[in-house]
Formats: sequence, C-alpha cells, structure tokens
Amino acid sequence: MSIETLKLCGIIILLAPLAAAVVAGALGTRVLKSQTHWVTILGVGSAFTCSCLVFNQVVGAPAGESMATIPIYDWIPNATASMFRVELLIDPLTSLMLLVVTGVALLVVIYSRDYMRDHGQPERGYERFFAFLALFVFSMCALVLGGNFILLYLGWEAVGLCSYLLIGFYYDRPTAAAAAKKAFLVNRVGDFGFGLGILLIYLTFGSLEYTAVFDMVSRGVDAAGNTVPSSTITTIALLLLCGACGKSAQLPLHVWLPDAMEGPSPVSALIHAATMVTAGIYMIARCGAIFSASATAMTVVAVIGAVTALFAATIALVQTDMKRILAYSTISQLGYMVLGAGVYAADSAVFHLFTHAFFKALLFLGAGSVMHAMGGIIDLRQFGGLRRVLPWTFRTFVIGSLALAGFPLFSGFFSKDEIIHHALTASPVLGVMALVTAALTAFYTFRMVFLAFWGRERIPEGVHAHESGGWMLAPLMILSVGAVFAGYLGVHAVGGGFHEFLAPVFEHTFAAHRHVTHVAGVEPTLWDEYGLMVVSGAIAILAIALAYVLYVPQRWFPALVKASAVRTHRTLWNKYYVDELYDAGLVSPARRAGRVCVGLDDYLIDGLVWLATAIPRGLGYSARVLQSGFLQGYGVSMVAGIAIIMMFVFWS
Amino acid sequence: MEGILTLVIFSPLIGVLVLLLPGVRSDVAIRRTALGCTLLTLAITVMCVVAFYQGPPEGEPSGPYRLTTHMAWIGGGSSAESVDIDIGYRVGVDGISIWLVALTSLLTPLAIWSSFTSVQKRCREYYALLLLLQVALLGVFCATDLLLFYVFFEFTLVPLYLLIGVWGGSERRRAANKFFIYTIAGSVLTFAGIVYLAYFAYSVRGRLSLDFVFLKQLGQSGAIPFEVQWWLFVAFAAGFAIKVPLFPFHTWLPLAHTEAPTAGSVMLAGVLLKLGTYGFCRLSIPMLPDAARHLAPVVAVIAIIGIIYTALAAWVQKDIKKLVAYSSVSHLGFCMLGLFSLKVVGVGGGVLYMINHGLSTGALFLLIGFLYQRYHTRSIDEISGLARRMPWLAFFFVFFTLSSIGLPGLNGFVGEFLVLIGAATSASTNDGIAAGPLGYGYVIPAATGIILSAVYMLWMCQRVLFGPLNEPRDTPDTSAGLTHDLTRSEIGMLVPLAACCVFIGVYPKPLLTTFEVAIRTNILTSTVSIADAQPIRQGEHDAVSLPGSASVQLAAARVFGTGLNDSELLNRSDDAPRSIIQNTVASVGCREGIHGTTCIQGTVASATCRERIHGTACVGHREGVHGTACVERRKRVDGTASSGGVGR
Repeated sequence: MSIETLKLCGIIILLAPLAAAVVAGALGTRVLKSQTHWVTILGVGSAFTCSCLVFNQVVGAPAGESMATIPIYDWIPNATASMFRVELLIDPLTSLMLLVVTGVALLVVIYSRDYMRDHGQPERGYERFFAFLALFVFSMCALVLGGNFILLYLGWEAVGLCSYLLIGFYYDRPTAAAAAKKAFLVNRVGDFGFGLGILLIYLTFGSLEYTAVFDMVSRGVDAAGNTVPSSTITTIALLLLCGACGKSAQLPLHVWLPDAMEGPSPVSALIHAATMVTAGIYMIARCGAIFSASATAMTVVAVIGAVTALFAATIALVQTDMKRILAYSTISQLGYMVLGAGVYAADSAVFHLFTHAFFKALLFLGAGSVMHAMGGIIDLRQFGGLRRVLPWTFRTFVIGSLALAGFPLFSGFFSKDEIIHHALTASPVLGVMALVTAALTAFYTFRMVFLAFWGRERIPEGVHAHESGGWMLAPLMILSVGAVFAGYLGVHAVGGGFHEFLAPVFEHTFAAHRHVTHVAGVEPTLWDEYGLMVVSGAIAILAIALAYVLYVPQRWFPALVKASAVRTHRTLWNKYYVDELYDAGLVSPARRAGRVCVGLDDYLIDGLVWLATAIPRGLGYSARVLQSGFLQGYGVSMVAGIAIIMMFVFWS
Repeated sequence: MEGILTLVIFSPLIGVLVLLLPGVRSDVAIRRTALGCTLLTLAITVMCVVAFYQGPPEGEPSGPYRLTTHMAWIGGGSSAESVDIDIGYRVGVDGISIWLVALTSLLTPLAIWSSFTSVQKRCREYYALLLLLQVALLGVFCATDLLLFYVFFEFTLVPLYLLIGVWGGSERRRAANKFFIYTIAGSVLTFAGIVYLAYFAYSVRGRLSLDFVFLKQLGQSGAIPFEVQWWLFVAFAAGFAIKVPLFPFHTWLPLAHTEAPTAGSVMLAGVLLKLGTYGFCRLSIPMLPDAARHLAPVVAVIAIIGIIYTALAAWVQKDIKKLVAYSSVSHLGFCMLGLFSLKVVGVGGGVLYMINHGLSTGALFLLIGFLYQRYHTRSIDEISGLARRMPWLAFFFVFFTLSSIGLPGLNGFVGEFLVLIGAATSASTNDGIAAGPLGYGYVIPAATGIILSAVYMLWMCQRVLFGPLNEPRDTPDTSAGLTHDLTRSEIGMLVPLAACCVFIGVYPKPLLTTFEVAIRTNILTSTVSIADAQPIRQGEHDAVSLPGSASVQLAAARVFGTGLNDSELLNRSDDAPRSIIQNTVASVGCREGIHGTTCIQGTVASATCRERIHGTACVGHREGVHGTACVERRKRVDGTASSGGVGR
C-alpha cells in the first residue's frame, strides 16, 4: 500500500464532506438554495471515490501488510504522558466501513434530492438538511478512520450530534424536538461508560493508540511490563460495551432509536439503520483484542445481543407505524450483530452489518417513498393495497423484506445464518433465541408487507398517491441489487472472499479464541455445512407463509388474537413500558432531587448565611441602644468612663 | 517590550480619563470611546501574546515569569534599614496568565459592544466602571506580588458592585449587597492569610517579601510547617472558594447573575469567577504544597458534590440566565477537580477549562442578553420555538451549548478530557511530579456531571428554541425593531468567541504547551528529574537508581516524539532533603524552566529539549544532559546534589 496515496485519500474522505457541509451551510440559504444537494453529492461522491481507492489499495496489499497508521498532526500535546495525535488507521475493516458509509450516504443524498421537496418545492430547511447530512458523513468517516480512542470518541460524539440535529430536523414539531434530545441523552449515558472505559485504558496502558494498546492487551501487560489483571480488562470491555449499547441501541439503552424515526426517512435509512447505529459493532470489532481477552465480557456481549434481538422482534410484531417496525427490526438485527461478536464471530457480525446496510437502507427508503406518496402518513392502519399504486417501490420493498426475513439465497439469509450457526455452536440457548428471532423477523416483516401492499386498495383521504420519481427510485434499485447479491460475497462456494478479506483484522483477536467448530482432520459432514441453512431457510419461508395466511385471506384472525391476549398485546404495544420505567425510576427522581437542591440553596444554605450575618447585625442592634442621640446619655457614659479610667490610674 | 504589561493593565484607564473629559458628551461618543479603548487594549494584549510566544530575545535570561516589570514600592530601595522589606509593583506573565489576560481583553470589548443597545442610562459612569473592572482583572492576572495581587483582587468588587447595583434588574440592590458582602467576607480572611504568610516568611528568611517566586520557593522548600500551611490554605480558600464559587458558597452567584446587566454577567462568568480558581492555582497549590496535597481529596469531594448538586439545581430552573449561572458553578467544579489532581495534565486541563468556560458561558450570557432585549423575559415557560423566527440565534445558542457540554472538536471537550485524565492518573508519577491524591474513583461521580450538563442544557434548548413558536404576548418590543433575528453586530460579537471555541477544540496545542511550561515552573513541585537521553525501546523501562543517602525521588522525563517510552521512579525515601527537590524543573519542551537561574541544584531535561538545553541550560551539567550513559548521569546528579549542599 502506498502510504502517500492512503494519506491523501483519507484526508479527502474527511475534508470533502466537511467542506460540503460548510459550503452548504454557509451559502445554502442565500446562493445555492434548491441546488444545495449538488454540493453534498459532490462532497460525498468524492469521499466515496476515495473510499473505493482505499479499498482497492487494501485489497491489493500483500498479505500481512494490509494495515497502516497514518499520522496527520498533533492534537493535544502532552509531554508527560502520551501525545494525542490526529492519525488515521486503515485496514480491511476500516476500508470496508468507509465503503458502506460513503456508498449508502451517496445513495441517500441522491434520494433526498426529491424526498426533501414537497411537490417540486424544496422543503423548509432543505439547505440545512444537506449540510447536516454532509457533516454526518464527515463524522462517521472520522469515527471509522480514527487511529486512536480519542478520534473514535470524537467521531462517536459527532455522529451523535448529527443524529441529534437530524432527528430534530422538523424542530417545530414537539415530538421531534423531544426525540432528538432523548437520543442525545441516552447516548450520553452510554458515552459516560464509554468515556470511563477510554480513561481506564489510558490509566492502565498509558496510551490511547489502537496499535499500542491492542499490542499490550494481547500480551497482557501494561507499558511498564507489569501484568494487567484480567478484572481490569473485563471492566474496560464492559465500559466500552456501555457505549456500544447506547450507539447501537442495545438493551437497556435502546429506547431512543424508535423515537428517532421522527427524523426524515433518508436520515433513518442512513444514520439510524445503515451506518451510525453500527458504530457500536464497529467498535467491538475494532477492540477485539480487549473484548476477546475477557470471556466474561464476551458472555455479556453475547447475552445482550441475543436478548435484544428477541426483545425488539417481539415489539415489532404489534406496531403499526412502518418506520417504527423497521426501527425495532434494526434494533433486533443489531442484536444479531452484537451476538455474533459475542460468540467470537466478529467477521460474521461485520458481514451482517454489510448486508444489513443494503437491505435496511432499502427498506427505510422504501418506507420513505410510501410516506412520500401518502402525504406523510406512515401508519399501516390508514392505507393498504399499494401494490399497484407504487409498483417500483413495492418491488424493491419486497426484495428488501425478503433479505431481512432471511429468505433463502437473499443476502440477509447468508449473513444471519452464519451468526446463528456460531451462536448455536457457542451455546444452544443463544442459538435457539437467534432462531426464534429469525422466525419472528420473517413474520413481522411480511406482516408489514402484506398490510401495506396487499389487500384492498386504501389511500388516506385527500392524498394524491403517486409513484416517486427517478431520483428516489434509482437508489432503491441500486440498493435492491445489493440486497440480493451482497450475501454472495461471503459464500465460499461462489468465490466470495469476504471473510478472508477481514481475516487479518481478527486473526489474533476473535478468531484466536473462537470455539473449534470441527475437529481437524475430520471432514465436516453435509449437515454441518448446510443443515442449519436448510432449517433457517425453512423457518423463514414458513413464517412468511403464516404471515400471508393471517394478513391476506384470514384478516380476522389477528384481531382475535389481539382480543384474547389483551394484556400481552398492550405490553408489547407499549414496548414493555421501558420508557415509563425510566421516567419513573430516573428522570422524575432526578428532577425531584433538583428541586430539593434548589430548596436547600434557598432555605438551608441561605439561611445559614443569614444566621452568620445575624451575629454582627445583632451586635450592631444591641450597640444601637447606646447611640440613642440623647445628650444626657452620652454625658453619663462619658463621666462613667472617666471615672473608670481614674480608678485604674489611681489603683495601679 | 519593557513595561508592555503595565501598558496592558492600565490602558483602559486612558478610556476612563477620556470619558471624564467634558467634551465627550453624547452617548454615541461615550460608547465609541469605551469600545475604542478596549480595542486598543486588545491590540496591545495581542502584541503581548506574540512577544510571549516568541520567547525571550537571545541572551536575555528568562525567569519563571516573562515581560516582567519591577518597581520598588515598600522597601526594596536602599537597604539601610535593618528589615529587608521587599514589596513591590511586580508584574509578569507566564504560560497560564497570558491566556487569561487575553481572555479578559477579548471579553471586555464584547461586553461593551453588547451594551450599546441595552444600556441607555448613565452611559458615562457605566462604561467607565466596565473599563475599571478590566483594569482590575488584568491586574490580578499580571501581578506577581502577593500584595499587588490582593489589591487588584479586591478592587474588582467595586466596579462590579456598582454595575449590578445601578444597572441591574429589579432586585439589583439585594443582589449587589449579597455579592459584595459575601465575597468580601471571604477575602478578608484571605488577607489575614497573606499577612501571616508575609510575617512567617520574614521570621524564617529574614526577608519581608511577597514576591510569588520567593514565596513559592519558600513553600516548596518545606520551611513552612504543615499546620501553618493548613491554616493558611483554609484562609486562602475562604476567599477563593467563594469567588469560584465552590459548593456550598455559591448561593450569591445565581442571584448576582440574574440581576446583573448582560455585560456584568459576561464579565462575572467569563473572567471574575476565574479569580478564585486562579488564586488556588497561583497561590494555594505552589505556596502551600503539603496542605494542598493533604486537602486535595476534600476539595475534590466538595467540587464533585458541587458538580452534581448544581447540575440538578440547574435542571429545574425556569429562568434561562439562572440555569446558565448554576451551570457555571457545576463547570467550575470540574475546573477545581483538574487543579487539585496536582498533575501537569489535570492542572493544564483545569486552566484550559477556565478559558473555555469564559468563552462559551460568556457567549451564552451574551445570547441570553439578546433574547432578553427582545422579549423582556427569560422564562423558559414563556418562550419556545425561537429557531423558526431566529435561526441565527438558534444556531449560536446550539453551538455554544455544544461547546459547553463538551462536544469533541470544540473547546469544552479538550478541557474536560484533560481534567478527567488528570484526576484519573493523579497517582502516577510519569510526569515527574509527585503523586497526587486523587484517582479513578473520583472520575466516576464527576463524569455523571457530563451527562447532567447535557441534560439541562439540551432541555433548555428544546424548550426555548424548538417546538411551536411561542412568544410572550405584550412584548416583543416592535418599536425597537428587535423581533427579528440577530443583527449583524450581534453576530459580530459572537463570531470571535465561536472562532476561539473551534480553534481550541481542533488545535489546542499552542495553549497547552505554554501551560505545561508554566505549570512545571510555577505551580507544581517537580521531583528531580533527569534526562533519559538514552533511547529506550518501547515497552522496556529504565530503572536508574541513585546510590547513597541523598536518595531523591527521580523521575526520568519521558522520551517522546520518537515513540519511545518511558520513565521510572527511583527509590524514594521520606527523609529526602527538600532542598534538593526545590527549584528543580522538569522541562519538557520548555524554554523558560531550563535556564540556569531556575535549575539551581537538581536538574532536568528531557530528550525533546536536548538541543535547547545543551549549551544554554542548567549550570554545571551541560554534558550530562546530552545523551550520556546512566553511570555518567548518576555521577553528575550526585555531584550536584552534594554541591547543592545536601551531600551524602
């Protein structure tokens, strides 16, 4: 790899979107106006081109040389400890992430050109939208390109900021403003742990550079050569996991992601499905050395992933807002990825991240297209049978759904199957949870598809439904190609080299600890190789069939179930009351504590201050009696004073 | 450059004098005079910063302070008298105070500019007082004599008292009185402490001097017994803690802020509060090192309680200004935590935090002032959805909110991060400074403050800026034409602050390098450090041990820049004579600390400054500094130790 080329590309990948953001923000409202999207397309497009170049370099690198650290400049000089540099790390994982981020971002920006116009007129804040989008691409690239934990944290917070700004895009809608704040704050809670983890890394190893830290972790020593206790590593890993739970919306910090759907649909597709929310998985994969060194932490990771996957899938069963269903599905799929990392199959997790980026972005953009056609309505109860009204949206949406549901030979099928396979190998319980989740996924996905596109054509009153234009359909089509074929990159049988490509990243971390799946020398049987594929494929097909039966010909049945299990339905509908729990358990007590603090300030502390001043004041009052202004009084006291002095003088 | 600091300090007085001229009559002329005068001060300050940054001219000795001026005031002239009295007009700056001077010079013109539309009554007095306030503030940061420091320190009260009491809100008198009495009650104790310290110095050294350098040497030589240090620390803290303000002495601040005019709030939050933290950092920590070390956990715990307590209190405020005032208390708790980590990183973070807080909170108070001018209310309940009507105001509000809650890439983050690192690594001795008493356990509760600061600031943004537009009914004052977005000049006031925020966030190096030099020279006690000129491979470490009885805690400065590690602590015993530790400076990348006058006995160097040290630095060890073997180095250190009067 040529370091110079990589450095140049890395800088362009960062600066092009940043420049686009600045230009769009500064000139958007005055000069560019309805043409602002070109700036962002240009910026993100250059970033994408450079990402391709970087990817090409990494692919072409000879074995063992696919990683490079590129210093840019000194950020925080710290002579005593270590220098915090702005430096880039480029390796197969980074180059892949860059490709996903800039690629999906480019499609989303193209899509947004039409989406953010209301009947030919740009929406209010059109310029702002593109500026924020470009800023997001910059932040996300900084996150994946950064060569140390500080830059990771910088990107981490910056994508959170963009998410905040874009969720709150329709800021005069109170729900949007509240959702934006909630997203930022819940992430802050995660970042609290994440930041403490980074500090603990610094405290333990005296450095925050990836290469240095991971090297020390894998040797189990700190900078001075002392052995690091495994409990410290576990603590670090769990603290980092906190951050991942926040950003990747895992239990118990998942609550912000469904609300984040208040943002425009392209934002949901880009930030809250394909890229930002996968930052947690990226981080776990990147810190493989730390995580895989602690079996306890890995167990926690796996359990959180599996439970989240199942938990979110059950909620998705009953929701009626298309975007929210997709949001819960995203949480669930992220759960799969976390589970994958937790069972030492980080390459499979990244593989699922890769395929998921295609089909989930596709689904969100498709849902956006539906929403666009329905005049902003996205509730499944208000429309249906859109098959003929939105033919292309329908076709691409079904492709995306098949991929999500794990329908055989679509991309999601391969990647999800790998994770289930590894989970089953690691622990039957986790494996079964993953399989159940797979069934639920197929069911709720097609429940949504059938409700939206099948049946009698129903369109909300006063809405002129129309298929979207080319700017929106083109990205859908490109993504659906990816949703079908991306999975084959990971299939050896057809020459996919995805895992080999990533292997250098994980060979000393996750891969070194992975459970041996088959004994060396013994050829894996046909069942080992394909048995699970058959099972999970069958599950997906059956679940889709069940959804068809229930939601197309037998529409009365779901209502019956709902009526007979009112309580369960209500629990699921209210998302297990987690929001209410947080409100009652954390927010209200904290507000009350705040009021107590103010009360203490106003009464106790100020009261004490008043008391302290009361002493001199009291003395003053008592002395005031003497200063009455009556001349006789002064005369008497003067005489008395003289008398006392005289007595002193004469006696002594 | 002789006397340039004096010029900086007193240049606002020119403005005061001009304002007193009978010819300057119209309000417009008064405003222009005041603004022009502060801009002049700003220009001179910039020259100062440049001169400081360029380093001393060739051949000129550089002491711990730069750009110094010394004039005898009391004593110090002909030493015919038996008592050696040396109290003088001493001014000088180091890497810390220069930036605080710059902050003051930057904020004052903005505060004055912001008053153009909002202050209509008694313009002449108003601007004269603001200029006087600036004189006092600049004086505090430049003074290097304790008495001069105290004079300026107290003098800040007078202009601000009048500014709040005359131009304030409806409860201005009560607020002004409370502010004045509260702060003066504390600083009287500080004064008692200063007098006693002077007396004590005289009784030990036979010299009545209040020179910072002298007092620091006195404190670090161990001449002041621990009990005395303890009492002095408490006396100093009485004044400084109220000024910071530390919990539970903070109740004057929200009131003073809500009642103060915008410019008063900007100066109060932006600069005046830093007098407290600056006092701790400049006086308590270097002059009373043992007490500071001993009491650091107490201060840290109080700071942490304050961080959380006031953050919670901020969350339930209805008045935007009061909310930001409470947030100030919370943020300065962070600053204190950094200072009392007693580590180069942490103190540097704390100092940076002072500057960051001045920039972002100053800007927030400006914004709140603009808002108040438009709506005559600051109630969160009465205003909402302003982003629609005032996109620029919303932009800047969100920007400075983000800076204040420590978003990486903006200034707040760097300070916060360094403070937390400092507190976490307090116990390590990697930087050649004796171990501090804090640790990771202090970081965890403090870090909750980071969550809480985001909670209340974003909560306020959500309520005020977002949601459906809601304006108070009888206002806005349409006659003043102020319902629209920020005017050009208002944006002009915010842009410099925003630019500084971005600059410090992206490239804090220029500040941090100067901080480090100043901290090592003027704030913290260095243990004797020797150069690790020998390249050490990464991961390995070099245990150098000193033979003999003069066992000294040695920390080899870390070699860096080449990716090399590391350092090692040498055998240490508690009977290590203090005089050897005294006056030594670990100089990593520093120029000032190296000079022979500072490094008398022990010494210092590190690989980064090899070239600079070589030849110009430490008396008597030119070669020792330059990459020589351990044996040789050891010999030299021993040699100095004995020549320094410690012997073996």
